[in-house]
Amino acid sequence: MADQGLEGSQPVDLQKHPSGIVPTLQNIVSTVNLDCKLDLKTIALQARNAEYNPKRFAAVIMRIRDPKTTALIFASGKMVCTGAKSEQQSKLAARKYARIIQKLGFPAKFKDFKIQNIVGSCDVKFPIRLEGLAYSHGAFSSYEPELFPGLIYRMKQPKIVLLIFVSGKIVLTGAKVRDETYTAFENIYPVLTEFRKNQQCH
Amino acid sequence: MSSPCSYCNKTSFIRDDVSGELICSSCGGIQQFDQFDAQIGAIDGPQGTFIRVGTAGSGSLYSYKDRKLFAAQTTIEEVTYTLGLSSKSVDVRSMASTITEGEFGQGEWFRVLIGACAYVVMRREDRPLSMAEVASAVGCDLYEIGRMILRVVDFLNLRSDFPEFDIVHSLERTIKNSRIFASLDRGVIDRIRKQGVFLIQCAVKWFLSTGRRPLPLVVAVVVFVAELNGIAVEMEELAREVHAKVSTCTTRYKELLETLVKVAQVLPWGKDVTVKNIVKNAPFVIQYLERKAMLKPGVIQEKRKDLHRAAVDLEDVVAECLRHDDELEYGVDGVTSPKDLQYFLSESKANRLGVGDADRLQVSPECLSVLYKKFLDENRCAEPLRGSGNARKRRSFGFDLQQCTEWWDGKSELSKKLLLKHLLEKDIGVETMPPSFVNGQLKCKMRQERINAAKLRIKRIMHPLGAEIPGPSHSSCPERRKRKGMVVDDVDWEDLVIETLVLHQVKDEEIETGHYNTLLDLHVFNSGIV
Repeated sequence: MADQGLEGSQPVDLQKHPSGIVPTLQNIVSTVNLDCKLDLKTIALQARNAEYNPKRFAAVIMRIRDPKTTALIFASGKMVCTGAKSEQQSKLAARKYARIIQKLGFPAKFKDFKIQNIVGSCDVKFPIRLEGLAYSHGAFSSYEPELFPGLIYRMKQPKIVLLIFVSGKIVLTGAKVRDETYTAFENIYPVLTEFRKNQQCH
Repeated sequence: MSSPCSYCNKTSFIRDDVSGELICSSCGGIQQFDQFDAQIGAIDGPQGTFIRVGTAGSGSLYSYKDRKLFAAQTTIEEVTYTLGLSSKSVDVRSMASTITEGEFGQGEWFRVLIGACAYVVMRREDRPLSMAEVASAVGCDLYEIGRMILRVVDFLNLRSDFPEFDIVHSLERTIKNSRIFASLDRGVIDRIRKQGVFLIQCAVKWFLSTGRRPLPLVVAVVVFVAELNGIAVEMEELAREVHAKVSTCTTRYKELLETLVKVAQVLPWGKDVTVKNIVKNAPFVIQYLERKAMLKPGVIQEKRKDLHRAAVDLEDVVAECLRHDDELEYGVDGVTSPKDLQYFLSESKANRLGVGDADRLQVSPECLSVLYKKFLDENRCAEPLRGSGNARKRRSFGFDLQQCTEWWDGKSELSKKLLLKHLLEKDIGVETMPPSFVNGQLKCKMRQERINAAKLRIKRIMHPLGAEIPGPSHSSCPERRKRKGMVVDDVDWEDLVIETLVLHQVKDEEIETGHYNTLLDLHVFNSGIV
């Protein structure tokens, strides 16, 4: 635990993060194939941490506390695990769910584990002129204040979607590996500084 | 009956009342069945050959497709008419035709598509409608129409040269279409429009519009400007007209007032300006902004030199004017403005003082502010008039806005519509930060305080004998009062979370972001590390 705590206090690697800001990962979505047909009703009846309402959604929703995650378990044996804060946590959580299914008497395996989406966020600590950004990056951005307060920036390389808000807060989503999130942020950061509001006050 | 009897070739017939058959009156022969009768609209219904329309299968002359196209055309006309764009119905039709490959369509989705096409057509011409208006005309949800609009834009590949929503046009349109202003004089409306355009462009510069729905701000600005011109406008009514939420309009109005108060701080009497009296002071604020906007960046320095030359004259003038028992009129309420001085000079005292050349008195706002202060220093007698103790007098004087119609020039470029780029380059003297950013900073500061407090608590526990460590400070931010949940010894759940994070050596900057759950998962319950 102490080692992990120390990791937090390490200085930012400026080679990797020239902006000096590292996006915090907020959510990881992964999928895994348990490779066996499941009887959702049995699972719902036997597991305490499961909810199942076939009228609303055709999957068992199961939660565990550590790592604090939620899984959607489908009858086909496919499972989606959400809510983890790191890739390892997501994998560990998925394993724990598979183990629970095994304990309920299904021959569950752990096949094709894959991170599907990584969501990160950060704060550049200066206000951003969204109108200007939308104007000069029109091909990539969609800024419709009538619908959504943020600017939606669809970066092509890496293929990441960024939500940019006037307050300087940024959300990055769509990454499969965390480096894509970091690269996307380092790509957008110079653009943002260009549309940074001058902070001088009269 | 035109044909003769098939038996005897006579042409006189009688209709049998019971069977309805036609019988020859001479030979009595029953004629062949000829009485095909549509029976539409009873006896005096339409005449002629009846063709059944509206059923599928044999017998109908119009096919499904024809009817669909016909219905689509009707829908297009109906929607464009509701939106007041009948002249654009051809464009809308052709856009809908391109998208559906000439098939058009039926049903609710098609109405939404038409609405989206109308919106896109208008926005491409830089005369945007609001999505809320289209949504209400089409009868669907704002987000439904929004999604369709984005799909249309993507499908037609318009993304790169799709103009932004033009808030200024939206304001002009609101003023033009509003029933509230319908009865007013044209000159007044034009004046309101220009002032509105000026103020809304300032608001754009002040980040009041960024990331917010445009219409509530439009409503707020219109209400404010109308108030300035002595016209009472019900915010609810205007909000209803433009399909905006009243509560949001009120919030924007408040924000606008607060920002104007902030701007008013540059005025010499700025400290006395509050949200309550800003409407009275607004003319001067706007005047200041207007003058500031009119100055070209390069010219400012030069002008200032001129102003210093003019300064001597003005100082004398101001001093003299105030000595003429005009103190209350000009000193109270702090209404002496750059412009007022100028009028004062050029209109009443100019001749006597020999300052006829009004051009020399092109005063920069800063200079005037300096002047004013200097003047106050030299004329202590005027000082008591500025204090807050003057509230009563102020009220009794009753500042009549109609009297000072001259405050508005309308000559600045900002009262015309500007391209965003030019607008952003303009300097209107006062820069403000977006409210969300300011709030974010405040939250950060509050968390920083909490981190420090947590560190102190930890220290006190670790070194219980350390006398030099101060006790818990109660001078922290006002937010503390609004805490929810259990509070023990001035420590609530958030303090405890922060304390835990500090104990796990999480960096201060990370805690300041406030993503407690993530940080707890990563650093405290770090079971994910295999």
